[in-house]
Amino acid sequence: MVALPDWMALAPALSLALASLVLLLADSVDPDTTNTGLLAGISVLGSLLSFGFAGWFITAGTGMADSTGVALFNNQLVVDQMALFFMAIVGSVTTLVVLASYDYVAEHSYQAEFFVLVLLSATGMSLLSAANSLATAFVALELVSLPSYALVAFLKENKGSVEAGLKYFLIGAVSSAVLAYGISLVYAATGVLRFDGVATAISSGTVQTIVDGSVQAQAGDPAVPMAILGVGILMIIGGVAFKTASVPFHFWAPEAYEGAPAPISAFLSSASKAAGFVLAFRAFAVAFPIGDLLAAGGAINWVMAFQILAIATMFIGNFAAATQETVKRMLAYSSVGHAGYVLIGLAAVSGSGEGLSLSMSAGMSHLLVYGFMNTGAFLFIALAEYWGVGRRFEDYNGLGREAPVACAAMTVFLFSLAGLPIGGGFFSKFYLFQATLNVSAWSLAAALIINSALSLFYYSRVVKAMWIEEPTGSRTIESYPMGLYTAVVGAALVTVLLLPGFNRVSEIAFQAAQLL
Amino acid sequence: MIPAETYLLLSAAIFCIGLFGILTRRNALIFLMSVELMLNAANINLVAFSLQHGNLTGQVFSLFTMALAAAEVAIGIGIVLVLYRNFTDVDVTKATTMRW
Amino acid sequence: MAAFTYAPAIVLLPFVSFLVALFAGDRMPKGGALAGITATGGSLLLSIWVALTVAGGAVHNEILYQWTTSVETLQLNFGLLLDPLSALMLLIVCLISFLVHIFSLGYMNDEGETGLPRYYGGLGLFTASMLGFVVANNLLMAFMFFELVGLCSYLLIGFWFRQDGPPSAAKKAFLVTRFGDYFFLIGVVGIFATFGTGLFAPITQGGEVVAESFPMLAEHAIVDGEVEGIAMLETVGMGPQAWFTVLGLLVLGGVVGKSAQFPLHTWLPDAMEGPTPVSALIHAATMVAAGVYLVARMYGFYALSPTALAVIALIGGFTALFAATMGLVKQEIKQVLAYSTISQYGYMMLALGSGGYVAAVFHLTTHAVFKALLFLGAGSVIIAMHHNENMWDMGGLKDRMPVTYWTFLAGSLALAGIVPFAGFWSKDEVLYEALIHGFGTEGGLGTVYLAAYAMGLLAVFFTGFYTFRMVYLTFHGDARSDTARDPEPVRWNVKGPLTVLGILATTIGFINMAPVAKLTGAHIDFLHTWLSGPEEGGWPELLSTDLHHYEELLHEVPHVDPAYPLGGEITTLLASAAVSLGLALAGVLVARSLYAGADPVEHTDKLGGLKTLLMHNYYQDEYQVWLATGVTYPLARVMNKFDQGVVDGVVNGISSVSLFGGSRIRRIQSGVVSNYATLLTLGLVLLLAAFGIMGGWF
Repeated sequence: MVALPDWMALAPALSLALASLVLLLADSVDPDTTNTGLLAGISVLGSLLSFGFAGWFITAGTGMADSTGVALFNNQLVVDQMALFFMAIVGSVTTLVVLASYDYVAEHSYQAEFFVLVLLSATGMSLLSAANSLATAFVALELVSLPSYALVAFLKENKGSVEAGLKYFLIGAVSSAVLAYGISLVYAATGVLRFDGVATAISSGTVQTIVDGSVQAQAGDPAVPMAILGVGILMIIGGVAFKTASVPFHFWAPEAYEGAPAPISAFLSSASKAAGFVLAFRAFAVAFPIGDLLAAGGAINWVMAFQILAIATMFIGNFAAATQETVKRMLAYSSVGHAGYVLIGLAAVSGSGEGLSLSMSAGMSHLLVYGFMNTGAFLFIALAEYWGVGRRFEDYNGLGREAPVACAAMTVFLFSLAGLPIGGGFFSKFYLFQATLNVSAWSLAAALIINSALSLFYYSRVVKAMWIEEPTGSRTIESYPMGLYTAVVGAALVTVLLLPGFNRVSEIAFQAAQLL
Repeated sequence: MIPAETYLLLSAAIFCIGLFGILTRRNALIFLMSVELMLNAANINLVAFSLQHGNLTGQVFSLFTMALAAAEVAIGIGIVLVLYRNFTDVDVTKATTMRW
Repeated sequence: MAAFTYAPAIVLLPFVSFLVALFAGDRMPKGGALAGITATGGSLLLSIWVALTVAGGAVHNEILYQWTTSVETLQLNFGLLLDPLSALMLLIVCLISFLVHIFSLGYMNDEGETGLPRYYGGLGLFTASMLGFVVANNLLMAFMFFELVGLCSYLLIGFWFRQDGPPSAAKKAFLVTRFGDYFFLIGVVGIFATFGTGLFAPITQGGEVVAESFPMLAEHAIVDGEVEGIAMLETVGMGPQAWFTVLGLLVLGGVVGKSAQFPLHTWLPDAMEGPTPVSALIHAATMVAAGVYLVARMYGFYALSPTALAVIALIGGFTALFAATMGLVKQEIKQVLAYSTISQYGYMMLALGSGGYVAAVFHLTTHAVFKALLFLGAGSVIIAMHHNENMWDMGGLKDRMPVTYWTFLAGSLALAGIVPFAGFWSKDEVLYEALIHGFGTEGGLGTVYLAAYAMGLLAVFFTGFYTFRMVYLTFHGDARSDTARDPEPVRWNVKGPLTVLGILATTIGFINMAPVAKLTGAHIDFLHTWLSGPEEGGWPELLSTDLHHYEELLHEVPHVDPAYPLGGEITTLLASAAVSLGLALAGVLVARSLYAGADPVEHTDKLGGLKTLLMHNYYQDEYQVWLATGVTYPLARVMNKFDQGVVDGVVNGISSVSLFGGSRIRRIQSGVVSNYATLLTLGLVLLLAAFGIMGGWF
């Protein structure tokens, strides 16, 4: 293994940031460029590089040596197995999205800005994966959010896009205020923002401070006010719920996904959601260890909170998806439902914190698989929008005859999302199910089963429309956009390959979760 | 020294005022201002407890929060602008083409 | 052993020929026949090599591919078991298949049939499946190939799918054998659940048993009382013997279906709709043999259960007689052969049930040869008669097709059991074993054996009769139609296989002339030696699939012992042989007196009402159809009502409730962002309140 300087551990995030700077440079050299190929090329290169670095580090064992991984900036950032896992998800989804955007933005102006915003947001996600302090987490989260508000509202002349951007922004602003307030309360209660410091404060029951990078008890040993800490944690749950589109902070999601340009919907519903979850996983596993919290008494039982949220999210997302008329909105709601599945990762935990590694790794694996199948599904919508196919289910009738390859890929995505053994989604759902059984969380298991069954119903509506129904009206597909096709077929291929390859993924995820 | 509870009450009050503004006002700009209030409630906490705890973490973080708030408003204003262009109004309840 | 290394090729070669015929048959001369001939010829050579190696005392039992890796309690494998029994069966299958391929050149290619690639593809796949079944070292693999064999028979019987008869016959064959296979499948699952393995014989490495077989586990449980490892017994709440009997009888379901035993024999006569070489290959020599072979393969398991043995013997004896009577009145040459096939397999079951393991394998061998011969001979006649199969339109073919006549006669003599043709030796041994075990075994089992013996003995007479009725009607007397006066000549590719089989049918009985051996004391009962192995050590110790082991088991568990009612062993032997030979001769003579004239007439009317009964095959088809339409169908309709009314109602109810719930839930999303903020705040406040009260924050 090559001995790299420590800061190189951030290479996945840095390559994204660098790519965005190069894009800005290119844009300032030629502000009105319509050379989409060049812009998309730089973006694809940057995101592929990010994915490549993450994959390389995982296989080379960076962050595996000890549980702390590579600590940077006085422990504000930590690149460990978990961080790399999510950086890989972000890198792959970003690659697919920018690849698909090549065709999508070709006829729009401000192309360079579009790619810059995507890459900046991705940089934030990558950084968020490594954030080891509430401060860096908040900053990285805002770096994720701010560009994505602009991206959702990117189609300035389109009412839907603007409306989606508005709603996303307003809910996002409220949520980040709630999160900031929660962070301030946690700081008030514990005296520190770094995750390990917060954990020490909780386990020792005294306010901590950081001197020369190491956590110490504050002079006089003042006790941690558990009530304030509890409110703070609950508000942080709120902030996380916003980013992951979980109940009750999910209201922005259906509109934002429906109104945004389809590649951006894919980006938000896959990568952004994953970024939200990595924050949740790290914060709740490292900073707020459930065993110590309950032992301290008076503080919040966040496992129960996540159980409530998971069940509510699954039911609301899937039931609302079942009765939608438009395909994109159906996928938007199903994305909410999937957030509920992943929340099981923090909900299927026993009171003493047992089973956390298993359930978290199940959630992580599902996010990885989901990153491909959901991105693919939204990119197929992008393809349909590109062709001018309508939004409703009926408009997809008979599409399988005209675009069999893309429709076959879509079928793979949908069935994999539903959890049929055609793609990795089968195993990741099964893994989640195992995690619920592991701690005898019957209500979660039942919700998972019921909602998966329901989801099969509405996913198969699309499949039925594409393959079985007769086409209504005339529709001619004139061109087959290369970038979109590559992205869709690539995502389908990976989704299928994750079926045999799932074992490896879950192993890495489990190791990562255990190292925390 | 003023007890810490006072600061907490103050920040909670400001947070609630901001939240109240969000719930009752329809004008997008007032919405933005309300969010600013909520963020600053957090800042009060951070600065106050920074003093209380005797470390600078909170104060430094509050600087970050302010910068982020400024960035957020910049994006927000931009979105309000396109909102006005498309709906000829800055009433946030007017934009309801997508629902259910 | 080098031969064993190449053994998988025995199965793979015909499979390759299947692929070649299927995908390239159109572009090949003879429609893929040459690929099939080459492949089966290659398999035959390899089988001979394997048989020679086995004769040298080597055996082979190895797992080739494991399905399950993580589950320790359950082993699902593909593996090879090559011992004297499977080596012998390999020889038979390869030889018959090879000859049938050659014969098909005359029957299919020369007759200008279309769809030849499909035909040869089917033959290739069939041969591969049957060989795979034969070499299987565990029950699951055996079951899979057993089913493949069934599928191939479906494809081949229905070869002429444009006519009415063949598709329906194919369907019938498939459904009836499937019916038996359901029980087999349950049996397989039961055996795996009980023992955790489906191995027929233990796998040893360096003298250590690394994987125990289920017959051995069952034996330990019954003989030594080691039942701790078998958790299933507690689950079902039965003793080991009772439960193993249930398992054995379930597997027997598949055997009864495949080997066309009463009451699942009805498919076989209909299956004669297929091309005649197919009938020779699959309905006479190999596929139907699969059932009997399976019982022989896991004989160590059946030998532990007196009930299962009694059932097998009784089914066998009854089928032998029952099918023979139906063969008496048939007018079509292939129909007679079909019923004789059923009847002969009855003999094999009788032998297996009554402890005559060698006798069963012996009869399996001889029957494969002479029945293939008879079917191919019939095929030759059918070519000559332009596909008219009615014997009353034939006559006098003796002089016009001498090769066919003489070989057919050899086969008929073998079938009728006339000394010294093959059938005599094997059938005699079957009956002799049933007789001595009938007298020697105490209790009900002995009585069952004697009853089965009586039925088998009576069937000998009928066999002699219907066989020679067929011979006389077909070949003797005057020609009764124009085609019979001027039959189409057949070529070398028909005569060649007939000659080979004719010689074999005459001589193959000499491999196990037990009576002669007993009389003279010479060791010429080769098959006996082949199946029992060396006295000490050698392969029997490794596999426990040898005759001695089975005899010990029969003696110890169901107490099947020989006794000699007529003085000594020699006298009993001679008397038994004389009686069966006498009855066979009597049958032949009666047939001669009735049908040997120049212009024979039908005598079946003299049977009166019996004739109608026999012509309708005892109304077996009718009652089975009635079972389907009169009992199963109304039941199914009731179930359907229940399904559509109650089950679907509940399902539909749930789905409409879900959809209604969904349509309500989506209304929360009002589209007004202020409402979202309100709901969001409300949610947060609710959570705060709930957790605040729980955590005692206020």
